[in-house]
Amino acid sequence: MGNFLKTAENPLDYVEIKTDGTSHISIKEPRLCKEQCENKPCTYYCPTRVFYWDGDTQNIQVIYARCVECGACPYGCPHGNIDWHFPAGGYGVLYRHG
Amino acid sequence: MGNDRYDAIVVGAGPAGSAAAMTMAKNNMSVLLIERGEYAGAKNVFGGSVYRQPIEILIPAFWEEAPLERPVVSDELWLMDNDSAVKIGFTGLKFAKPPYNKFTAIRAKFDRWLADKAVKAGTRLITNTLVKDLLYEKTGIFDRKVSGVILESGDRIYSDIVILAEGVSGNLVEKAGLREKITPDDLTLYVKEILELPSGKVEERFNLEKNEGASIGMVGYPSSGAIGKGAIFTNKDSLSIMVGAYLNQIIDKGLNPHLLLKRLKQHPMVKRLIEGAKTVEFQAHTIPKGGYEQIPQLSAPGVMVTGDAAIMISGRRGTDLAMLTGMFAGEIAAQAKAAQDFSGEMLASYDRKVKNSFFMKDIAAGKGAKKYYELHPDADFLLSKAANDAAYDYFTVDLLSFNIKLEKIMGELKNMQPLPKTASDLYHGYLHWGVF
Repeated sequence: MGNFLKTAENPLDYVEIKTDGTSHISIKEPRLCKEQCENKPCTYYCPTRVFYWDGDTQNIQVIYARCVECGACPYGCPHGNIDWHFPAGGYGVLYRHG
Repeated sequence: MGNDRYDAIVVGAGPAGSAAAMTMAKNNMSVLLIERGEYAGAKNVFGGSVYRQPIEILIPAFWEEAPLERPVVSDELWLMDNDSAVKIGFTGLKFAKPPYNKFTAIRAKFDRWLADKAVKAGTRLITNTLVKDLLYEKTGIFDRKVSGVILESGDRIYSDIVILAEGVSGNLVEKAGLREKITPDDLTLYVKEILELPSGKVEERFNLEKNEGASIGMVGYPSSGAIGKGAIFTNKDSLSIMVGAYLNQIIDKGLNPHLLLKRLKQHPMVKRLIEGAKTVEFQAHTIPKGGYEQIPQLSAPGVMVTGDAAIMISGRRGTDLAMLTGMFAGEIAAQAKAAQDFSGEMLASYDRKVKNSFFMKDIAAGKGAKKYYELHPDADFLLSKAANDAAYDYFTVDLLSFNIKLEKIMGELKNMQPLPKTASDLYHGYLHWGVF
Protein backbone atom coordinates (compact mmCIF):
# COMPACT_ATOMS: atom_id res chain seq x y z
CA MET A 1 0.00 0.00 0.00
CA GLY A 2 1.35 3.39 -0.93
CA ASN A 3 0.55 6.51 0.99
CA PHE A 4 -1.47 6.25 4.12
CA LEU A 5 -3.09 9.62 3.63
CA LYS A 6 -3.36 12.06 0.81
CA THR A 7 -0.28 13.67 2.26
CA ALA A 8 2.89 11.69 2.69
CA GLU A 9 2.46 11.59 6.46
CA ASN A 10 2.29 8.09 7.86
CA PRO A 11 1.72 7.33 11.56
CA LEU A 12 3.97 4.31 11.25
CA ASP A 13 6.93 6.65 10.80
CA TYR A 14 6.53 7.45 14.48
CA VAL A 15 6.27 4.05 16.11
CA GLU A 16 8.64 1.15 16.57
CA ILE A 17 7.35 -2.30 15.64
CA LYS A 18 9.46 -5.45 15.87
CA THR A 19 8.23 -8.19 13.56
CA ASP A 20 9.10 -11.87 13.70
CA GLY A 21 7.91 -12.95 10.27
CA THR A 22 4.74 -14.59 11.56
CA SER A 23 1.37 -12.92 11.26
CA HIS A 24 -0.71 -12.72 14.43
CA ILE A 25 -3.74 -11.54 12.45
CA SER A 26 -5.79 -13.48 9.94
CA ILE A 27 -9.18 -13.40 8.25
CA LYS A 28 -11.11 -16.46 9.36
CA GLU A 29 -13.34 -16.86 6.32
CA PRO A 30 -12.11 -14.69 3.40
CA ARG A 31 -15.24 -15.32 1.32
CA LEU A 32 -17.36 -13.66 3.98
CA CYS A 33 -15.69 -10.27 3.41
CA LYS A 34 -16.52 -10.39 -0.27
CA GLU A 35 -19.99 -11.83 -0.06
CA GLN A 36 -21.48 -10.41 3.12
CA CYS A 37 -19.53 -7.37 4.24
CA GLU A 38 -20.83 -4.23 2.62
CA ASN A 39 -18.68 -1.49 4.14
CA LYS A 40 -15.55 -3.39 5.14
CA PRO A 41 -15.06 -1.14 8.18
CA CYS A 42 -11.75 -2.79 9.11
CA THR A 43 -10.25 -0.85 6.22
CA TYR A 44 -10.97 2.44 8.02
CA TYR A 45 -11.37 1.96 11.78
CA CYS A 46 -7.97 0.32 12.19
CA PRO A 47 -5.78 3.30 13.21
CA THR A 48 -2.73 2.07 11.30
CA ARG A 49 -4.57 0.49 8.37
CA VAL A 50 -3.51 -3.08 8.75
CA PHE A 51 -6.36 -4.13 6.44
CA TYR A 52 -7.03 -3.18 2.86
CA TRP A 53 -9.34 -4.43 0.14
CA ASP A 54 -7.50 -5.99 -2.76
CA GLY A 55 -9.66 -5.59 -5.86
CA ASP A 56 -7.62 -8.08 -7.88
CA THR A 57 -7.98 -11.02 -5.52
CA GLN A 58 -11.30 -9.77 -4.05
CA ASN A 59 -9.90 -10.34 -0.58
CA ILE A 60 -9.07 -8.33 2.51
CA GLN A 61 -5.29 -8.22 2.72
CA VAL A 62 -3.63 -8.13 6.13
CA ILE A 63 -0.32 -6.38 6.77
CA TYR A 64 0.40 -7.53 10.29
CA ALA A 65 3.65 -5.56 10.39
CA ARG A 66 1.59 -2.35 10.67
CA CYS A 67 -0.25 -3.53 13.80
CA VAL A 68 0.20 -1.50 17.02
CA GLU A 69 -1.96 -3.92 19.04
CA CYS A 70 -4.70 -1.43 19.89
CA GLY A 71 -7.09 -4.33 20.24
CA ALA A 72 -9.96 -2.89 18.16
CA CYS A 73 -10.09 -5.16 15.11
CA PRO A 74 -11.46 -8.41 16.50
CA TYR A 75 -14.33 -6.54 18.17
CA GLY A 76 -15.01 -4.04 15.40
CA CYS A 77 -15.49 -6.57 12.59
CA PRO A 78 -19.28 -6.81 12.10
CA HIS A 79 -18.95 -10.49 11.18
CA GLY A 80 -16.46 -11.46 13.88
CA ASN A 81 -14.25 -12.54 11.01
CA ILE A 82 -10.89 -11.27 12.24
CA ASP A 83 -8.68 -13.58 14.24
CA TRP A 84 -6.28 -11.46 16.25
CA HIS A 85 -4.05 -12.48 19.10
CA PHE A 86 -0.97 -11.09 20.81
CA PRO A 87 2.24 -11.34 18.78
CA ALA A 88 4.94 -13.59 20.22
CA GLY A 89 6.57 -12.42 23.43
CA GLY A 90 9.05 -9.60 22.85
CA TYR A 91 7.69 -8.80 19.38
CA GLY A 92 5.20 -6.27 18.11
CA VAL A 93 4.86 -2.64 19.11
CA LEU A 94 7.42 -1.09 21.42
CA TYR A 95 6.32 2.17 22.99
CA ARG A 96 8.95 4.50 24.40
CA HIS A 97 6.57 7.25 25.53
CA GLY A 98 3.21 5.47 26.21
CA MET B 1 12.76 -22.15 34.21
CA GLY B 2 14.62 -23.02 37.42
CA ASN B 3 11.87 -22.76 39.94
CA ASP B 4 8.73 -23.91 38.19
CA ARG B 5 6.37 -23.49 41.10
CA TYR B 6 5.34 -20.22 42.72
CA ASP B 7 2.79 -19.17 45.28
CA ALA B 8 1.37 -16.81 42.68
CA ILE B 9 1.75 -15.98 38.99
CA VAL B 10 0.72 -12.58 37.68
CA VAL B 11 0.05 -12.19 33.96
CA GLY B 12 0.92 -8.70 32.72
CA ALA B 13 3.27 -6.13 34.26
CA GLY B 14 1.06 -3.06 33.87
CA PRO B 15 -0.12 -1.08 36.89
CA ALA B 16 -2.56 -3.79 38.03
CA GLY B 17 -0.08 -6.64 37.69
CA SER B 18 2.83 -4.86 39.33
CA ALA B 19 0.64 -3.67 42.22
CA ALA B 20 -0.60 -7.23 42.77
CA ALA B 21 2.91 -8.70 42.56
CA MET B 22 4.36 -6.11 44.90
CA THR B 23 1.60 -6.63 47.47
CA MET B 24 2.08 -10.40 47.47
CA ALA B 25 5.88 -10.24 47.52
CA LYS B 26 5.69 -7.98 50.56
CA ASN B 27 3.62 -10.68 52.20
CA ASN B 28 6.46 -13.15 51.72
CA MET B 29 4.89 -14.98 48.84
CA SER B 30 6.97 -16.25 45.94
CA VAL B 31 5.68 -14.36 42.90
CA LEU B 32 6.35 -14.64 39.19
CA LEU B 33 5.34 -11.61 37.10
CA ILE B 34 5.14 -12.33 33.36
CA GLU B 35 5.25 -9.53 30.77
CA ARG B 36 4.93 -10.05 27.01
CA GLY B 37 6.68 -6.79 26.11
CA GLU B 38 10.40 -6.10 26.08
CA TYR B 39 9.88 -4.22 29.34
CA ALA B 40 6.94 -3.30 31.55
CA GLY B 41 5.05 -0.48 29.85
CA ALA B 42 6.26 -1.30 26.33
CA LYS B 43 2.69 -2.03 25.23
CA ASN B 44 0.78 0.48 27.30
CA VAL B 45 -1.00 3.68 26.39
CA PHE B 46 -3.08 5.88 28.67
CA GLY B 47 -4.86 9.20 28.94
CA GLY B 48 -2.13 11.14 30.55
CA SER B 49 -2.15 11.47 34.34
CA VAL B 50 -1.79 9.40 37.50
CA TYR B 51 -3.56 10.29 40.72
CA ARG B 52 -1.84 10.87 44.02
CA GLN B 53 -4.31 9.61 46.64
CA PRO B 54 -4.97 6.10 45.31
CA ILE B 55 -1.31 5.42 44.45
CA GLU B 56 -0.16 6.69 47.81
CA ILE B 57 -2.04 3.80 49.44
CA LEU B 58 0.29 1.43 47.64
CA ILE B 59 3.49 3.46 47.77
CA PRO B 60 3.59 6.32 50.29
CA ALA B 61 5.20 9.52 48.96
CA PHE B 62 5.78 7.85 45.58
CA TRP B 63 6.26 11.25 43.95
CA GLU B 64 9.68 11.53 45.56
CA GLU B 65 11.00 8.65 43.47
CA ALA B 66 8.59 7.86 40.62
CA PRO B 67 9.33 9.08 37.09
CA LEU B 68 6.58 11.69 36.76
CA GLU B 69 6.25 14.56 34.32
CA ARG B 70 4.41 17.52 35.86
CA PRO B 71 1.99 17.94 38.78
CA VAL B 72 -1.28 19.10 37.22
CA VAL B 73 -2.51 22.45 38.57
CA SER B 74 -4.90 23.38 35.81
CA ASP B 75 -7.81 21.38 34.40
CA GLU B 76 -10.01 22.61 31.61
CA LEU B 77 -12.94 21.22 29.68
CA TRP B 78 -13.49 22.72 26.27
CA LEU B 79 -16.84 22.41 24.50
CA MET B 80 -15.55 22.95 20.99
CA ASP B 81 -16.93 24.11 17.70
CA ASN B 82 -15.12 24.91 14.46
CA ASP B 83 -13.53 28.19 15.56
CA SER B 84 -14.57 28.61 19.17
CA ALA B 85 -14.65 26.89 22.53
CA VAL B 86 -16.64 27.33 25.73
CA LYS B 87 -14.11 26.67 28.47
CA ILE B 88 -14.83 25.44 31.97
CA GLY B 89 -11.87 25.04 34.25
CA PHE B 90 -10.01 25.32 37.50
CA THR B 91 -6.47 26.25 38.43
CA GLY B 92 -5.33 25.47 41.96
CA LEU B 93 -1.72 26.26 42.80
CA LYS B 94 -1.89 24.18 45.98
CA PHE B 95 -1.69 21.26 43.58
CA ALA B 96 1.84 22.32 42.63
CA LYS B 97 3.12 21.45 46.11
CA PRO B 98 3.32 18.22 48.13
CA PRO B 99 1.28 16.16 48.56
CA TYR B 100 0.02 17.21 45.10
CA ASN B 101 -3.14 15.97 43.37
CA LYS B 102 -2.18 14.26 40.13
CA PHE B 103 0.73 14.10 37.74
CA THR B 104 1.14 13.73 34.00
CA ALA B 105 3.26 10.69 33.25
CA ILE B 106 4.78 8.56 30.50
CA ARG B 107 3.68 4.98 30.88
CA ALA B 108 6.81 3.41 29.41
CA LYS B 109 8.72 5.02 32.31
CA PHE B 110 6.10 4.82 35.06
CA ASP B 111 5.16 1.17 34.50
CA ARG B 112 8.80 0.19 34.35
CA TRP B 113 9.43 1.90 37.65
CA LEU B 114 6.41 0.23 39.26
CA ALA B 115 7.44 -3.22 38.01
CA ASP B 116 10.89 -2.52 39.42
CA LYS B 117 9.29 -1.76 42.80
CA ALA B 118 7.64 -5.18 42.65
CA VAL B 119 11.00 -6.76 41.82
CA LYS B 120 12.69 -4.98 44.72
CA ALA B 121 9.96 -6.38 46.98
CA GLY B 122 10.99 -9.87 45.90
CA THR B 123 9.00 -10.57 42.73
CA ARG B 124 10.63 -12.44 39.88
CA LEU B 125 9.90 -10.59 36.62
CA ILE B 126 10.26 -12.22 33.20
CA THR B 127 9.73 -10.12 30.07
CA ASN B 128 9.44 -11.03 26.36
CA THR B 129 7.16 -13.87 27.42
CA LEU B 130 3.62 -14.56 26.34
CA VAL B 131 1.21 -16.66 28.38
CA LYS B 132 -0.82 -18.87 26.04
CA ASP B 133 -3.30 -20.44 28.39
CA LEU B 134 -4.18 -21.32 31.95
CA LEU B 135 -3.53 -24.69 33.59
CA TYR B 136 -6.27 -26.39 35.56
CA GLU B 137 -6.42 -29.16 38.10
CA LYS B 138 -9.51 -31.18 38.90
CA THR B 139 -10.94 -30.58 42.35
CA GLY B 140 -14.10 -32.63 41.97
CA ILE B 141 -16.18 -34.34 39.34
CA PHE B 142 -17.33 -31.04 37.85
CA ASP B 143 -15.01 -28.64 39.59
CA ARG B 144 -11.62 -27.38 38.56
CA LYS B 145 -9.15 -24.88 39.85
CA VAL B 146 -6.62 -22.75 37.99
CA SER B 147 -3.22 -24.14 38.86
CA GLY B 148 -0.75 -22.26 36.69
CA VAL B 149 -0.01 -21.05 33.17
CA ILE B 150 1.27 -22.41 29.87
CA LEU B 151 3.78 -20.23 28.04
CA GLU B 152 3.98 -19.99 24.26
CA SER B 153 7.15 -22.10 24.47
CA GLY B 154 4.97 -24.87 25.91
CA ASP B 155 6.61 -24.54 29.34
CA ARG B 156 4.23 -25.01 32.23
CA ILE B 157 4.57 -23.06 35.43
CA TYR B 158 2.48 -23.96 38.45
CA SER B 159 1.08 -21.81 41.22
CA ASP B 160 -1.64 -21.75 43.86
CA ILE B 161 -3.06 -18.54 42.44
CA VAL B 162 -2.99 -16.80 39.06
CA ILE B 163 -3.82 -13.11 38.85
CA LEU B 164 -4.84 -11.91 35.41
CA ALA B 165 -3.73 -8.36 34.59
CA GLU B 166 -3.44 -8.80 30.85
CA GLY B 167 -5.25 -5.60 29.88
CA VAL B 168 -8.31 -5.15 27.74
CA SER B 169 -7.07 -7.03 24.69
CA GLY B 170 -5.93 -10.24 26.36
CA ASN B 171 -8.06 -13.32 25.94
CA LEU B 172 -7.28 -15.38 29.04
CA VAL B 173 -10.22 -13.93 30.97
CA GLU B 174 -12.53 -15.00 28.17
CA LYS B 175 -10.84 -18.39 27.85
CA ALA B 176 -11.35 -18.95 31.58
CA GLY B 177 -15.06 -18.38 31.00
CA LEU B 178 -15.18 -15.33 33.27
CA ARG B 179 -16.14 -12.73 30.69
CA GLU B 180 -18.71 -12.56 27.91
CA LYS B 181 -17.57 -11.54 24.46
CA ILE B 182 -16.80 -7.81 24.26
CA THR B 183 -18.82 -5.86 21.68
CA PRO B 184 -17.77 -2.62 19.93
CA ASP B 185 -20.09 -0.52 22.10
CA ASP B 186 -18.11 -1.75 25.13
CA LEU B 187 -14.94 -0.16 23.81
CA THR B 188 -13.58 3.23 22.96
CA LEU B 189 -10.67 3.50 20.56
CA TYR B 190 -8.10 6.23 21.17
CA VAL B 191 -5.12 7.43 19.18
CA LYS B 192 -2.42 9.61 20.65
CA GLU B 193 0.73 11.41 19.67
CA ILE B 194 3.63 12.56 21.76
CA LEU B 195 4.79 15.94 20.51
CA GLU B 196 8.20 17.19 21.54
CA LEU B 197 8.21 20.80 22.71
CA PRO B 198 10.89 22.55 24.81
CA SER B 199 9.78 22.93 28.44
CA GLY B 200 9.95 26.74 28.24
CA LYS B 201 7.48 26.73 25.36
CA VAL B 202 5.16 24.32 27.19
CA GLU B 203 5.07 26.72 30.14
CA GLU B 204 4.60 29.79 27.99
CA ARG B 205 1.75 28.35 25.95
CA PHE B 206 -0.16 26.80 28.83
CA ASN B 207 0.48 29.64 31.26
CA LEU B 208 2.48 27.52 33.69
CA GLU B 209 5.47 27.92 35.93
CA LYS B 210 8.27 25.40 35.92
CA ASN B 211 7.04 22.18 37.54
CA GLU B 212 3.37 22.89 36.89
CA GLY B 213 1.21 20.98 34.44
CA ALA B 214 -2.11 21.39 32.67
CA SER B 215 -4.72 19.17 31.14
CA ILE B 216 -7.42 20.04 28.65
CA GLY B 217 -10.34 17.74 27.90
CA MET B 218 -12.28 18.47 24.73
CA VAL B 219 -15.73 17.42 23.55
CA GLY B 220 -17.71 18.28 20.45
CA TYR B 221 -15.43 19.03 17.53
CA PRO B 222 -12.64 16.46 18.21
CA SER B 223 -14.68 13.30 17.73
CA SER B 224 -16.48 14.58 14.64
CA GLY B 225 -20.04 13.65 15.55
CA ALA B 226 -19.25 10.48 17.49
CA ILE B 227 -19.43 10.32 21.28
CA GLY B 228 -15.84 10.75 22.30
CA LYS B 229 -13.21 13.09 23.61
CA GLY B 230 -10.02 14.82 22.77
CA ALA B 231 -7.35 15.85 25.25
CA ILE B 232 -4.00 17.54 25.65
CA PHE B 233 -1.66 16.91 28.57
CA THR B 234 1.56 18.74 29.27
CA ASN B 235 4.61 16.60 29.98
CA LYS B 236 8.04 17.97 30.95
CA ASP B 237 9.20 18.69 27.44
CA SER B 238 6.45 17.22 25.35
CA LEU B 239 2.69 17.28 24.90
CA SER B 240 0.35 14.30 24.73
CA ILE B 241 -2.51 14.89 22.34
CA MET B 242 -5.22 12.32 21.83
CA VAL B 243 -8.67 11.73 20.50
CA GLY B 244 -11.05 8.79 20.55
CA ALA B 245 -14.64 7.65 20.56
CA TYR B 246 -16.89 4.64 20.99
CA LEU B 247 -15.72 1.99 18.55
CA ASN B 248 -19.24 1.24 17.28
CA GLN B 249 -19.74 4.93 16.46
CA ILE B 250 -16.35 5.21 14.74
CA ILE B 251 -17.50 2.31 12.58
CA ASP B 252 -21.04 3.61 11.98
CA LYS B 253 -19.83 7.06 11.03
CA GLY B 254 -16.98 5.82 8.86
CA LEU B 255 -14.25 7.56 10.82
CA ASN B 256 -10.54 6.81 10.80
CA PRO B 257 -9.02 7.55 14.21
CA HIS B 258 -5.71 8.76 12.81
CA LEU B 259 -7.50 11.24 10.58
CA LEU B 260 -9.49 12.47 13.59
CA LEU B 261 -6.23 13.24 15.35
CA LYS B 262 -4.83 14.99 12.31
CA ARG B 263 -8.03 17.04 12.12
CA LEU B 264 -7.85 17.97 15.81
CA LYS B 265 -4.24 19.09 15.41
CA GLN B 266 -5.39 21.48 12.69
CA HIS B 267 -8.11 23.11 14.79
CA PRO B 268 -7.11 26.79 15.06
CA MET B 269 -7.19 26.77 18.86
CA VAL B 270 -5.18 23.57 19.13
CA LYS B 271 -2.75 24.43 16.36
CA ARG B 272 -1.37 27.42 18.26
CA LEU B 273 -0.67 25.19 21.27
CA ILE B 274 1.27 22.59 19.34
CA GLU B 275 2.89 24.82 16.69
CA GLY B 276 6.41 23.67 15.90
CA ALA B 277 6.17 20.60 18.13
CA LYS B 278 7.65 17.48 16.58
CA THR B 279 5.81 14.14 16.64
CA VAL B 280 8.00 11.55 18.34
CA GLU B 281 5.51 8.72 18.81
CA PHE B 282 2.15 7.57 17.49
CA GLN B 283 0.06 5.31 19.69
CA ALA B 284 -3.33 3.66 19.61
CA HIS B 285 -5.30 1.64 22.14
CA THR B 286 -8.78 0.56 23.06
CA ILE B 287 -10.19 1.41 26.48
CA PRO B 288 -12.98 -0.72 27.91
CA LYS B 289 -15.97 1.56 28.43
CA GLY B 290 -18.55 -1.10 29.04
CA GLY B 291 -19.35 -0.03 32.59
CA TYR B 292 -21.14 -1.92 35.28
CA GLU B 293 -22.93 -4.48 33.13
CA GLN B 294 -19.70 -5.54 31.43
CA ILE B 295 -17.63 -6.26 34.51
CA PRO B 296 -16.66 -9.92 34.36
CA GLN B 297 -16.79 -12.45 37.11
CA LEU B 298 -13.81 -11.21 39.13
CA SER B 299 -12.67 -14.52 40.59
CA ALA B 300 -12.95 -18.28 40.26
CA PRO B 301 -11.09 -21.07 42.06
CA GLY B 302 -7.38 -20.20 41.87
CA VAL B 303 -7.76 -17.05 39.76
CA MET B 304 -8.56 -13.33 40.10
CA VAL B 305 -9.01 -10.66 37.41
CA THR B 306 -7.73 -7.06 37.80
CA GLY B 307 -7.41 -3.74 35.99
CA ASP B 308 -8.53 -3.25 32.40
CA ALA B 309 -8.98 -7.02 32.02
CA ALA B 310 -11.72 -6.61 34.65
CA ILE B 311 -13.10 -3.48 32.87
CA MET B 312 -12.16 -1.33 35.87
CA ILE B 313 -12.74 2.06 34.33
CA SER B 314 -14.66 4.97 35.79
CA GLY B 315 -14.73 8.19 33.80
CA ARG B 316 -11.10 9.13 33.35
CA ARG B 317 -9.88 6.79 36.05
CA GLY B 318 -8.25 3.57 34.96
CA THR B 319 -4.58 3.43 35.92
CA ASP B 320 -5.35 4.06 39.59
CA LEU B 321 -8.24 1.60 39.65
CA ALA B 322 -5.93 -0.96 38.06
CA MET B 323 -3.43 -0.43 40.87
CA LEU B 324 -6.14 -0.60 43.54
CA THR B 325 -7.73 -3.79 42.17
CA GLY B 326 -4.25 -5.28 41.79
CA MET B 327 -3.52 -4.45 45.40
CA PHE B 328 -6.87 -5.88 46.56
CA ALA B 329 -6.22 -9.11 44.67
CA GLY B 330 -2.73 -9.30 46.18
CA GLU B 331 -4.14 -8.86 49.69
CA ILE B 332 -6.75 -11.56 49.20
CA ALA B 333 -4.08 -13.85 47.73
CA ALA B 334 -2.00 -13.36 50.87
CA GLN B 335 -4.99 -14.25 53.04
CA ALA B 336 -5.70 -17.30 50.89
CA LYS B 337 -2.09 -18.39 51.24
CA ALA B 338 -2.20 -18.00 55.02
CA ALA B 339 -5.38 -20.09 55.16
CA GLN B 340 -4.11 -22.50 52.45
CA ASP B 341 -7.52 -22.07 50.86
CA PHE B 342 -7.69 -21.13 47.17
CA SER B 343 -11.31 -22.06 46.64
CA GLY B 344 -13.84 -19.92 44.82
CA GLU B 345 -15.43 -19.07 48.14
CA MET B 346 -12.21 -17.71 49.59
CA LEU B 347 -11.33 -15.67 46.51
CA ALA B 348 -14.87 -14.30 46.29
CA SER B 349 -13.89 -11.93 49.07
CA TYR B 350 -11.93 -10.15 46.33
CA ASP B 351 -15.20 -9.66 44.41
CA ARG B 352 -16.80 -8.27 47.55
CA LYS B 353 -13.88 -5.96 48.24
CA VAL B 354 -14.06 -4.50 44.74
CA LYS B 355 -17.85 -4.26 44.79
CA ASN B 356 -17.80 -2.33 48.08
CA SER B 357 -15.17 0.14 46.86
CA PHE B 358 -15.87 3.81 46.19
CA PHE B 359 -15.07 3.43 42.50
CA MET B 360 -17.57 0.63 42.01
CA LYS B 361 -20.25 3.00 43.28
CA ASP B 362 -19.16 5.45 40.57
CA ILE B 363 -19.08 2.73 37.92
CA ALA B 364 -22.58 1.67 38.97
CA ALA B 365 -23.79 5.30 38.86
CA GLY B 366 -22.47 5.58 35.30
CA LYS B 367 -24.71 2.69 34.32
CA GLY B 368 -26.95 3.64 31.44
CA ALA B 369 -24.45 5.97 29.73
CA LYS B 370 -23.88 3.37 27.05
CA LYS B 371 -27.58 3.03 26.38
CA TYR B 372 -28.14 6.79 26.37
CA TYR B 373 -25.40 7.36 23.82
CA GLU B 374 -26.64 4.50 21.68
CA LEU B 375 -29.98 6.31 21.46
CA HIS B 376 -28.47 9.80 21.19
CA PRO B 377 -25.06 9.57 19.52
CA ASP B 378 -25.37 13.26 18.61
CA ALA B 379 -25.73 14.48 22.23
CA ASP B 380 -22.19 15.83 22.72
CA PHE B 381 -22.11 17.43 19.31
CA LEU B 382 -25.44 19.21 19.83
CA LEU B 383 -24.42 20.45 23.27
CA SER B 384 -21.12 21.84 22.08
CA LYS B 385 -22.75 23.44 19.10
CA ALA B 386 -25.49 25.01 21.25
CA ALA B 387 -23.02 26.22 23.88
CA ASN B 388 -20.82 27.87 21.27
CA ASP B 389 -23.69 29.46 19.35
CA ALA B 390 -25.14 30.84 22.58
CA ALA B 391 -21.75 32.09 23.71
CA TYR B 392 -21.12 33.82 20.39
CA ASP B 393 -24.48 35.60 20.81
CA TYR B 394 -23.84 36.40 24.44
CA PHE B 395 -20.36 37.79 23.97
CA THR B 396 -21.11 39.69 20.78
CA VAL B 397 -21.42 43.38 21.61
CA ASP B 398 -24.54 44.31 19.69
CA LEU B 399 -27.38 46.82 19.67
CA LEU B 400 -29.99 44.69 21.44
CA SER B 401 -31.29 45.19 24.94
CA PHE B 402 -30.12 42.49 27.33
CA ASN B 403 -33.59 40.95 27.67
CA ILE B 404 -34.11 40.73 23.92
CA LYS B 405 -30.69 39.18 23.59
CA LEU B 406 -31.48 36.48 26.15
CA GLU B 407 -34.78 35.79 24.41
CA LYS B 408 -32.91 35.38 21.15
CA ILE B 409 -30.47 32.92 22.70
CA MET B 410 -33.27 30.92 24.32
CA GLY B 411 -35.17 30.90 21.02
CA GLU B 412 -32.16 29.47 19.21
CA LEU B 413 -31.65 26.83 21.90
CA LYS B 414 -35.30 25.77 21.61
CA ASN B 415 -35.03 25.67 17.84
CA MET B 416 -32.21 23.16 18.04
CA GLN B 417 -34.05 20.62 20.15
CA PRO B 418 -36.59 20.64 23.03
CA LEU B 419 -35.07 22.09 26.19
CA PRO B 420 -35.64 18.95 28.31
CA LYS B 421 -33.54 16.98 25.82
CA THR B 422 -30.75 19.56 26.09
CA ALA B 423 -30.97 19.33 29.88
CA SER B 424 -30.83 15.55 29.69
CA ASP B 425 -27.83 15.66 27.30
CA LEU B 426 -26.12 17.97 29.73
CA TYR B 427 -26.85 15.69 32.69
CA HIS B 428 -25.46 12.67 30.86
CA GLY B 429 -22.49 14.68 29.71
CA TYR B 430 -21.80 15.61 33.29
CA LEU B 431 -21.94 11.94 34.31
CA HIS B 432 -20.04 10.63 31.33
CA TRP B 433 -17.30 13.11 30.41
CA GLY B 434 -15.49 12.62 33.70
CA VAL B 435 -12.72 14.87 32.51
CA PHE B 436 -11.86 16.37 35.87
